[in-house]
Order: sequence, then structure tokens, then C-alpha cells
Amino acid sequence: MRLQHFSPPLPERLIKALTDISIRTDTDLLLSEDPTKIFMRLPPELGFSLLDFRNAVAKVAELASASSLHGDALLEKERKRQEDIFADDMLVGVPDVDALLGGFSPPQVVEVSGDHLSGKTALALQLVLRHLSLVSESSALWIDSSGEFSTERVGLMLEQMNGPAAHTVLERLQVSLAFDIEAVHDVLENLRQSLSSRDSDGDVPATRCVVIDSITPLLGPMLSATSSQGHAIMTTFMRQLRAYADSFSLTIIVINASTKMLPRNPETVFETARKPALGPSFTFTPDATLWLSQRPSEESADEAATTHVAEVLRSRISVSPAHWRENTTH
Amino acid sequence: MSDRLISTLSSLPAPTLNALAGAGYETIRDLSTATPEQLSRDLNLSLPASQAVFAATRPSASFPMTQSAAAMMGSTQKPFSTACAPLDRLLDGGLKRGYILEINGPPGSGKEQIAVNAVRGFVARKQEVLFVDMQNMASPATIKRTLMNSNPTVDGGGAALVRHLALHSAAEFVIFLRNLTAYLDERPATGLLVLNSLAFPFQCEFSPKDRNAILERLRQTLARACASMGLSVIITSQLVTKPVEGNGQPGSAPQGSKMIMSPAFVHKGKDYLRTSRTYRVIVVPQTRTTGVIRLLSTPTSQPPAHAVREESYQRVRGVIV
Repeated sequence: MRLQHFSPPLPERLIKALTDISIRTDTDLLLSEDPTKIFMRLPPELGFSLLDFRNAVAKVAELASASSLHGDALLEKERKRQEDIFADDMLVGVPDVDALLGGFSPPQVVEVSGDHLSGKTALALQLVLRHLSLVSESSALWIDSSGEFSTERVGLMLEQMNGPAAHTVLERLQVSLAFDIEAVHDVLENLRQSLSSRDSDGDVPATRCVVIDSITPLLGPMLSATSSQGHAIMTTFMRQLRAYADSFSLTIIVINASTKMLPRNPETVFETARKPALGPSFTFTPDATLWLSQRPSEESADEAATTHVAEVLRSRISVSPAHWRENTTH
Repeated sequence: MSDRLISTLSSLPAPTLNALAGAGYETIRDLSTATPEQLSRDLNLSLPASQAVFAATRPSASFPMTQSAAAMMGSTQKPFSTACAPLDRLLDGGLKRGYILEINGPPGSGKEQIAVNAVRGFVARKQEVLFVDMQNMASPATIKRTLMNSNPTVDGGGAALVRHLALHSAAEFVIFLRNLTAYLDERPATGLLVLNSLAFPFQCEFSPKDRNAILERLRQTLARACASMGLSVIITSQLVTKPVEGNGQPGSAPQGSKMIMSPAFVHKGKDYLRTSRTYRVIVVPQTRTTGVIRLLSTPTSQPPAHAVREESYQRVRGVIV
């Protein structure tokens, strides 16, 4: 952070003198050299004593450091958030799947990945539509990166939802088309502006859930073995998502495709033919990764139904290890 | 001035971003007091580079395409008739804007003629058409004659709205695919894209990986065009002969085994051209002049084997009605 941007501001002459000896940011001031040595490089006619300078450096250190949080205040906040889960009602509606991560209530960033036709879009769509049909003051944003959003599918799923607000669901579901990562940044920027400028009790519904359908075509082409810029763009984007989720209390579902896994280990318990795409570090950026796969259905099952399995591949929000089991869903 | 982080402006080159980060600029708001000349002096950047920084921070002129799902559902206009009554019945009225129709069928079943006749519906509603012909089945003269026969009052039958492109090889197809997005951006009035005989450029010795990569690219381009500008697409494709063992499983063919013909772009159960907006039909001729058109899949479902929808047709002077 530049020295000019601190508030309360430092004395103007001091800032100018420091800029002349090429100290422009707080990192330069605090970390490049001992303050006494910096003071000796300053011109003597400035009129500052060593004590004043060291006080100024201490003030910059205080302003630049992160604010402290008390553990008991954090615990209180977490308890209150647990109580609000039922008010928010962000659940898929299948108890076993909801128990995998303890519900999907905000603020969370969850990655859902799986093979082609494993039910990722269906899971995200069901979560969003169920929430919108039960809570009438919230809206959702669906970012479609491949043009695959199908209103027929939404209509079919909506027929089976019968919450109190089911008739206004379609007006509160916003669909954006974004074919590259810049466009997604623009959409999220618009969302940020609209959320920060609304009043707390206006009658515009607040966005509570954002789904990015298929982040793989947005980030995948930029990852390369020779340059790390794609990787940097990916991690910056995911950290931005986390920041949005925290500051506006959103649930963000990121849908990811799958890729081949080599080498195969024939002795593992789980299937190891496919893994989530976008590389090994992508899975550490959201709060949890769910892996969906389709099981071949039994002979006696209904022909139109398919059986899927959801596993938690990695999570930093699950509470008890007893939940890291396979659960079946239809 | 927004609080957007400068590191999210991925259109700027990495050295510029590093220089900005090293100088302590974190959000766009921090740049509000600087000018390009001052920035290029402080950061040792060239003046064009620092001007690019300011150009990138300006709010983008194009609004993101956002609409509510209700608006999307409500904006379906009247579907376009394909001029083939059984096909219109299968599609519940015709081909809607932004949807893809894939017509499969054996050679000589008249599917390319369906594609040419379907152009009439779009021209009648003043939509531009891009007709890509890959097997010389429909020359510009044929299309113009069809249009003039159906609409003799309009000048040239409206043929000025139809643009024709003839391709023959896979390389030409790949070039076409790369230029397609730019072409559609220049001509937003295009309502229909016809890919006639799509299987023909792929007939030569192709490794499956290359073919699938091209098809995947085609699928993505079409999905984006259909979603963003409501382009309708008609694809005619051929059938390939595949050997089938007695129990219906695909496999190598011992002597005298059954061969079936199935749509060209389905391999091992995976359909390479399926998007969420595709209707697939197959023309099944049963006699020289009659047959059925069967619906293979719709955007929402794949009908199970016992409940397929079929519509019978008759050929009158070579044209399916």
C-alpha cells in the first residue's frame, strides 16, 4: 500500500522526502532497512528528529497490520451463523447429501466436479431452485460459460418444487452468459456494486447464491506447463470469489469438469480413472470439493431414474470425519 | 472508482501487473490520483503500457449479458416452420430460435432437401441464412430456385439474404469454424446456419482424437452462438455402418453378422454433438416413397426405446411432405 493512502495521513514533507529516496510503499519503509539507516539517508534540513521518525514508522506498522480478532467474539459469531442456517435454508433436499458438508449455507465456496452427465448441473440447479422457492426475499445468479443453460430443464425441475415462493422463482433467477474470465469478472463486479449499494430492507431481493456453471473452459485453456500466468489468474480469481462470499455472505458453487488420471493405482478403494480438472492446486482454493459419479442402475429400478454417488474429496469445513463416507442420491 | 483489485485485470501483461503491485497499487481506486505520464515515470513503464493500464480500468463498454430466467423463457418467438409437416409435428411446431436440429438418414432419403426447404421459412421472416454445403448437394442456383418457387413476388425470392459457402475438406472446415464467431459478430441478423452433409469432411482417415477435438470445438462454438445471439442451426449428417454382434453389443464382425447403420457422430454411446438445445431426428425410409421420421432426442430427454415418437411421411416428386 502506498504511503500516501494511509489515513490518518503522514506528514506531506516526510512522504515526499521518502519518495525521493525511493521508498514508496509500507513494505519498502518497514522491511527494506533499519529505520535508523533510512533516517540517515533523509536530508537533514527536513526538521524531523530521530524520535519523530521512529514514531512515524511505528504508526505505519500499526496501520498496515491486520486488525485483531478475539476468539470469544469469533465463537459467538459462528454460533449465531449456525442458528441462521435454518433461516437461510440452502440445502439440496436430500438429507444424506446435505449431511456431507453440513449444508450449503453461506459463506461458502464449494466445487462440484464429476464426469460428463454425472449430475453436477442438476445438483446445483436443485439447490438454487429449492432455495428460491422456499425463501422469497433472495435471488440467485447463474453464470453460464458455455451456453448450456436450458430453460426447459428449469421448468421441469420447478414443477416438482412446491415451496411458498415457487411462482416467482423465474424472475429471481438471473442468468448471465460469460465466455471468458474477463467477462466473469465484469459480471461479479456488477454484482458487487449492486449488493453494496442496496439498502438493508429494500424490496429488491438480495443475491444469496452464485453458480458458475463450468469454470473449466474459462480457466483450463490458460494453464500451461511453460508459464505460470494462467495459474496466477486462476488463484487470483478463486481468492476473489472467496472474498465476495465472505463480504456479501454468499454461497458460491463452482462446477468443474473432470480429466484423466495417470498413473492408475490398482489397489485403491475408490475409482481412480478420473479426477477433477484444473490441476492439483485448484482443489485447495474452494472450501470443499464434491465428486459426483453415476452408478449403473440396478435392473429393478425405474428406467428414467439414474443413481449417482457424491463423495467429499477434500473439505476444510466438514466437522466430523464420520461424514466422509459415500452417500447415494437419486 | 471501484474497489476492484488490479490483479484481476488479466488483460494487462505480467510485467505491468508486477510493477503496479511493487509500487503498492492494490485497487483501482488507488489509481484515481495518478496520470499515465506520472505512472510511466514512477514505475519505469513505457507510456503505451501505462496508458493501457488506464484503458483497462475504465468500465467496460459492453454490458454483461444478464437476464432473468423468466425473460429467457418468455422470449421464445413463433417457431420457424421447416416446410416438412411431419418434422414440424415432431418438433412441436417447428424449429425455435436458438435451437439446433440434427437430421440423420441414409443416402438418398431427402434430408438435404429438407434443409433447403427449411431456408424458406427463415427468409420469409427476413432472417439472414448462412448455408454451408460440404458435399455439393445444394448449389446457390438450387436454393435460389427453391426460394423463387415459394415466393415469386419478392425480388429474387429473397435470395439476397442467403449466403452460400462450399467446403470439402476437414482443413477448410476447421478454418471456417475459427472464423465463424467473427462472422456472426459482424452479421447479427443471421438467424439460421445450415451445415449440410457434416459427415463428409470427416470421412478420410482421421484419428478419433482429432475428430473429437474438432467436433468438441464445433459444439462449443454452436452452443455459444445459440445462447448469445439466438442462432438456429440445421445439421444434416449421414449414417455409418457399424457391425453388431447378435446381442446388440458393438464388436468386431465375424462372418455373416448383422450390420447396422447409426448416426455418424455417436461413438461408444457418447454423442459428440449433443448440446442442451439439440433435437435429433432420423429419416427412416421404408419404401421408395414412404417412411417415418423418428425423434431420437430432445433438449430435455432421450425417449426410451419403447416410447419413440415417429411421424410417417410421403415423398411427392422427391420432396418429403
